[in-house]
Amino acid sequence: MARTSAFLLLSALLSVFAPVDALWPQPRDITTGSSALKLSGGFDITIAGSVHNAPLDLHQAVERANAQLRSDKLERLVVGRGDADKGALSKAKTLSKLTLSLEKGATAHTITSEAQKPIEARDEAYVLDVPADGSGATLTANSTLGLFRGLVTFGQLWYQSGSTTYSIEAPIHIKDSPAYPYRGYMLDTARNYFPVSDIKRAIDAMSWVKINQFHWHIVDSQSFPLEVPGFLELSQKGAYASSMVYTAKDVQDVVSYAGARGIDVLVEIDTPGHTSVISKSHPEHIACAEATPWATFANEPPAGQLRLTSNETTQFTADLLVAVSKLFPSTMFSTGGDEINANCYDQDPETQKALNATGQTFLQALDSFTQVSHAALKKAGKTPVVWEEMVLSFNVTLAPETITLVWISSADVQAVAQKGFKLIHAASDYFYLDCGGGGWVGANPDGNSWCDPFKTWQKSYSFDPVANLTADQAKLVLGGQHLLWTEQSSPSNLDPISWPRAASSAELFWTGPGQNISTVLPRLHDLSFRLQQRGIHTIPLQPLWCALRPGACDLTA
Amino acid sequence: MACHLRLILLVLSIPFVAALWPIPRGLSNGTTPLKLSSSFDIQASFKNVPSDLQDAIQRTKSHLKTDTFERLVVGRGSVDAQAIAHANSLKTLVLSLNHGAAVRPIAVEVNTVAIDARDESYSLSIPSHSAQATLVANSTLGLFRGLTTFDTMWYHNGGDKYILNAPVTITDSPAFPYRGFSFDTARNFYPVSDIKRTLDAMSWVKLSVMYWHIADSQSFPLQVKAFPELAAKGAYSNDEFYSESDVKDINQYANERGIDIVMELDSPGHTTAIGMAHPEHVACINKSPWTKYANEPPAGQLRIAVNATVEFSKTLFQSVIDLLTGTMMSSGGDEVNLPCWNEDEETIQALAQSNTTIGQALSSFVQEVQGVMAKNGKMPFIKSDMVLTHNVPVINGTGIVVWQSYADAVKVAQRGLRFIHQPSDYFYLDCGAGDWTGNNILGNSWCDPFKTWQRAYSFDPYANLTADQYSLVLGGQMPIWSEQSSLENLDPIVWPRLAAGAEVFWTGATLPDGEPRLGVNATNGVNAFARINELRFRLVDRGVKAIALQPKWCALRPGLCDADS
Repeated sequence: MARTSAFLLLSALLSVFAPVDALWPQPRDITTGSSALKLSGGFDITIAGSVHNAPLDLHQAVERANAQLRSDKLERLVVGRGDADKGALSKAKTLSKLTLSLEKGATAHTITSEAQKPIEARDEAYVLDVPADGSGATLTANSTLGLFRGLVTFGQLWYQSGSTTYSIEAPIHIKDSPAYPYRGYMLDTARNYFPVSDIKRAIDAMSWVKINQFHWHIVDSQSFPLEVPGFLELSQKGAYASSMVYTAKDVQDVVSYAGARGIDVLVEIDTPGHTSVISKSHPEHIACAEATPWATFANEPPAGQLRLTSNETTQFTADLLVAVSKLFPSTMFSTGGDEINANCYDQDPETQKALNATGQTFLQALDSFTQVSHAALKKAGKTPVVWEEMVLSFNVTLAPETITLVWISSADVQAVAQKGFKLIHAASDYFYLDCGGGGWVGANPDGNSWCDPFKTWQKSYSFDPVANLTADQAKLVLGGQHLLWTEQSSPSNLDPISWPRAASSAELFWTGPGQNISTVLPRLHDLSFRLQQRGIHTIPLQPLWCALRPGACDLTA
Repeated sequence: MACHLRLILLVLSIPFVAALWPIPRGLSNGTTPLKLSSSFDIQASFKNVPSDLQDAIQRTKSHLKTDTFERLVVGRGSVDAQAIAHANSLKTLVLSLNHGAAVRPIAVEVNTVAIDARDESYSLSIPSHSAQATLVANSTLGLFRGLTTFDTMWYHNGGDKYILNAPVTITDSPAFPYRGFSFDTARNFYPVSDIKRTLDAMSWVKLSVMYWHIADSQSFPLQVKAFPELAAKGAYSNDEFYSESDVKDINQYANERGIDIVMELDSPGHTTAIGMAHPEHVACINKSPWTKYANEPPAGQLRIAVNATVEFSKTLFQSVIDLLTGTMMSSGGDEVNLPCWNEDEETIQALAQSNTTIGQALSSFVQEVQGVMAKNGKMPFIKSDMVLTHNVPVINGTGIVVWQSYADAVKVAQRGLRFIHQPSDYFYLDCGAGDWTGNNILGNSWCDPFKTWQRAYSFDPYANLTADQYSLVLGGQMPIWSEQSSLENLDPIVWPRLAAGAEVFWTGATLPDGEPRLGVNATNGVNAFARINELRFRLVDRGVKAIALQPKWCALRPGLCDADS
């Protein structure tokens, strides 16, 4: 009898824990039990013999996953931490292996090549089975990319108590695939520079929440840190320092590091605005370079835009974009197109002369300029990506496959969809990580952030990707992303300003909208603490007191 | 000749000895480049140099070797290579004390002298053409302040450390004695190493007080001899508390850097964690809905009407006092919640027995704990709402921490009480990060927006006060409340913004050129912004992860990113 009651007590205890699992993003289809299960000391992840020619990046991913199971040492977030589960673990069954295999007929390509396929052609689905009885766990998928996503999930299942690595929710059955194909994170490396090591750490964190697209806003008006073959003068004269340059080798390093982690790199060369720094090596191509007062020529200092009426500048731009596109295997390439300042061109004699000579308007010139660069990119095999003004403000002729980034406001989504363009959610009112840091221009003591207030994880999580869209228009939504503009960021704060908030959109676009926001915080805490164990300096969302007591710090508790 | 002319123009374009923060109150400088000799040394001209001053000298010498901060200008250090190629070399800095000054450790100057009686003044003279600079003060503390000035003025280029503005003559002393940082280590825990790094950075900008909000409702990470069970049960874990030796270590580390510790035992509110070990002393513990019983979860306040709790509190204060040196301590006192006590059976009973009101009980509780502080020679501090909202009488000499809003300072001054400025609308480092309670999807920070360094810098400690009230202002402090902060983001949330407060209270109303500090151009790019950008890069160079205030493009071009440029 005593045994029975102990058993009952244990079950009761476990059922209390059940809702708090550690997965982020939440799999779309999951069932869990309430049995404790621990990893054996010799636990190993292996690739089934049936997977012929398993690629190196899959082997390496398995090695990393094996190592993480031993190094994570995340104690469950509960009063008493790991010790609280000691009793439950004494009689737990032991799991000794996880075996990866591909579905029948699937071929083992590299994770990298699967990740770099066109956005809608990637297969990220997987099935993960962790039995409670100690028999081997299995992970199957149609692609190595799917296997990689499943490995990330598996790595989030385990807690540490003393020397025991365990779950209290076996058996676990997961059938998972993303709701949206595009789940991104954008980093601006031009306002302030980030060494490759910081970018790699960001990529690690991205991969741990199944983000699959790194949108690299690599250059801007303030600096040009990208070394472009054939255009070396741009970084030589435009980088902040010779030590603050991404060489072609660095780019290759970042691209392959990301690829091996299931992430494609979408590079952006923002044109024709946001290009002041090109004037350092090519003053002939830039209108209103560093003109003052900057506020009448640009949204932020320094002013300067490509002379889009000049044939030479147009050709220079197309050649530059093609040269950059060769560094990045992605099928997408962003030509930017935001915040073009009309006054800059109005005041530029060269531009005015050219417009007068051709009889074109500024908008017509922008249209021709864009068509030339997009045609060159198309020839290079790239699908263009643009900021929303190209569609909504300038009505530029764009190929139907062009993808639009909606950034100014979530209210603009509908208008882009009405024009029939595929779109990525990047709205400043939900996803800008930099908002709320106050004004940064000088002599402006009460200046506030233009997109105040700070976007909390909750605000981002509450976003509805298909709000105000018809069913047909909803199909145009590829996904979305968080974005970090770095006027007020640098390596000093990259982690805390990005994480765990960027994970909020990762779940929104993987799991899909409609989750119950009032119950997700414990899981996000769990993720955040796990990221910390892995060396990411995530900001605390609450006092630890709250993190250890799910719900106790809700507004209504 | 052309070359010479260019050099002069270059030098003239630098307003002050640009690198200094806080800017000294008396400063004149020339335009002659000057290098540190490779054999540069710092010597004291007097005997029995205290070991903490010797250590400070060593640290400065070490900075002068390891700092690699290059001047913020397009081209960085290499731009100055030519100017300094044939510059004179400075071989020594000689420290001396004025006649009659006592030779005592810096720590003793800090922890035995009342806050308003400390002598932090110093004179620093760096000639352009002789080999020796001099630093003179009335105390080792003054010498220490002068050393921090000296060690943050040099630029690095290749193998050289140099300035462009010799000769430099500085006569400096603080406008306000209390220049603080309030540090909450209870909402989330910070390891000792993080606190020490913060103290290092504080000392570089001449802050004089760390106001340590060590415990709160969420955790009690302080080990005290009288009640070891408080930390044993109230700390977040066995790894997340400050042992007695940790506290002594931090206290000593701070004192040697010219910083005093004001320990705050916030009471009677903000004390739920005491209830983990002593539930008998805490009313409305973890009571729900917390919004009714506390400003944030979890609810819980000391049972001030119960004699045993008052005795317990007095013993607790005494035990903490025994742990620390220093001349000040705080009993906090913010945000007490009346429904918490009104619905507490024990409190109701105790009030009935003694035939007192809760207001009387609160006054008597405060008098008791203030009495313990006074008996031990500590100047007591208390939060402004105790005085302004609850009309609690305080003992003579109490310092008021004015926090809710700047406007409260005037009300405190009208009561003739001495105070420090800590207004949430200027100085709170945590504002602007959104609401942190769960299930509050669109919740915003209660003190939104984010307080930029420019906002903090624009604070006038004397605004709306009459001239005869000026002497009531001891200074001020910027706090970090840690609901959304931890060791993961400590540096970027604190630095360099905290330095804004440091200059507000060191330099005061007037810049060394006689212009008002809060002139129309106070925070424009060629003035304070250029200097704080420099400080930010210097902090990063020394391993403090200060946030970027602007794109580097702007930092390299003072003034070009001003709103009106």
